[in-house]
Amino acid sequence: MMIRFFLQRVIVSLFRLGGAVMVLLALMELFFCVIGASDRHVWMIQSYGPVPTELSATPTTWSALLQARGGATLLVLLIGYSGILLTGYSWGILGARWRKFRGTTLLGSIFSFIACIPGFWLVILISVYSYYRWERPGFANDIVVDEGPDLLSLWNACIVAVPAMVAGIAWQVRAVASDLEKEITAPYVRGLFVSGVTDDDIFYRHVLRRATPALLDRMDRTVPFFLGSLMIVEFAFRYEGIGSLLIESVRLENYGGILAGSVWMMVVISLIALVRECAVGFVQPDGLS
Amino acid sequence: MINRRQSKLVRTAQGAFARLWQAKRVGLLIIPYLVLLSWLFSGDGTGDLRPGSLYAVSETPEWKSPDREHWFGTTANGEDLFELSRLAMAASVAVAVVAVVLGSALSLIATMLFFLGFPKSGLVAFESIGRAGFVLPPMVVSAILCGAGRGSLGQTIAGLTLVIAFGLATVISGWLREGMSQFHFEAGLIIGLEKSEITMNRLFPAILRRLPGVMAKLLPVIVLVEMALSFAGLTGDRLSCGVMIAYGQSLIIEAPWMVIYPGVLATIVVMALSFLGWRVSGALKTGNLIPII
Repeated sequence: MMIRFFLQRVIVSLFRLGGAVMVLLALMELFFCVIGASDRHVWMIQSYGPVPTELSATPTTWSALLQARGGATLLVLLIGYSGILLTGYSWGILGARWRKFRGTTLLGSIFSFIACIPGFWLVILISVYSYYRWERPGFANDIVVDEGPDLLSLWNACIVAVPAMVAGIAWQVRAVASDLEKEITAPYVRGLFVSGVTDDDIFYRHVLRRATPALLDRMDRTVPFFLGSLMIVEFAFRYEGIGSLLIESVRLENYGGILAGSVWMMVVISLIALVRECAVGFVQPDGLS
Repeated sequence: MINRRQSKLVRTAQGAFARLWQAKRVGLLIIPYLVLLSWLFSGDGTGDLRPGSLYAVSETPEWKSPDREHWFGTTANGEDLFELSRLAMAASVAVAVVAVVLGSALSLIATMLFFLGFPKSGLVAFESIGRAGFVLPPMVVSAILCGAGRGSLGQTIAGLTLVIAFGLATVISGWLREGMSQFHFEAGLIIGLEKSEITMNRLFPAILRRLPGVMAKLLPVIVLVEMALSFAGLTGDRLSCGVMIAYGQSLIIEAPWMVIYPGVLATIVVMALSFLGWRVSGALKTGNLIPII
């Protein structure tokens, strides 16, 4: 049953991905050719061509460029997305538990206010401060580590991930808390309370368990928006990832770069959505059929 | 006490007063909005202000660091940076307001037409398509739509409008589905009312009441998106805090105020708009929204 469900979801994901690629091509054709008056159509092979020198200083292929930039963005995604999930879920559960003290508002507001700071401006300030005050490399393209542990890459990935993930955390905290608070209003909670079960037991043993499918269903919602924010922050920090590739490609009207970067992002989003669907199907066996 | 029916005028007046009383929180929130927007759009903002020429540095630049006369300092040709930042924020807010209003209207019309034309299962399919659409990140779509036209103002607004309309359509169809599951909808169908009649008299007013909350929440997000796109050079050489920060980067050693202060003002304005948006959304009980962009 589980295998059948998994295969079914894989096929649905592939169809979804194919549909999104078609929509992307249609948008490119419409906005670059019909409105933008470009003479290079998306169906012409010549429109794609080799990697231009503006996107890579050394001659390379699209697959090698995608591999290098994709690897850099994967590290950011790993840091950022795990940060969203860990902080979002833990603070959301805490917010719902402290609902009498408006826990959700208090905990979510911290991230919501930080999210109001333009991420691209923040990373510029951080890199300039880093260069002048700490006398360390500023922007991501300043120094490459040749020997020893490459802690600089990790630092750069964190700088890019943090501004992009705060809005995601703010949303996740509110969404998790709202699901739990909705579950708390169910009639069985009152029954348990009347029968003498403690608040902690009701919340952690019953409410949290029953709300698990709904909570899991929220786990991939922030990914497209995190990747979208990443585009601008990577570009501002001169971080050589998929996001900056996309922005540079749009500026250069390079179809190859736009398509490669977008498809990379779509594949990542589809994979995380597939994991979410399987996880929900696993904890909620009724959903398998 | 005489059991007498009240006149129509008194009933209408009472109803209007009750509605005003219910909307008093929203009414009070309009005042800070008006204050903020009138401050942003006040002063002389006419003339062709191109960041490329404003940030051009001559051999003997006339810039001044922040002082009592110029809070944010001046640009290389002596223009007050505070005034420029205010004008830039006004431009970003104006673009965002137009895009949010058009996007909301477009999504409302599209969803209502779809809802009236198809049965309930069609609405579920509509929502599924909307959710599947997020496989393509909205920011990527915005970048393509805005960047493809070499950054014309019209294309920026059109691009943002389309992205907002697509995202909001899913939210509105969710509200419609929620409304359909309520008692009065089923009751209306049982007593023989037309679906369109129930929709226009019951569901549509409820959506219209909640929509300003969504729009208020979306406004600061779209302001941020507009600034981000202009920073990336996708909205042309038009005055915006994003473009000012992008140009200011190259002068960070000589004139750091040119990159720091436009960002400070942008943060303050976005924070103010966000705070007001949360209050309006709370007053109208819009609920937690899915992220749209």
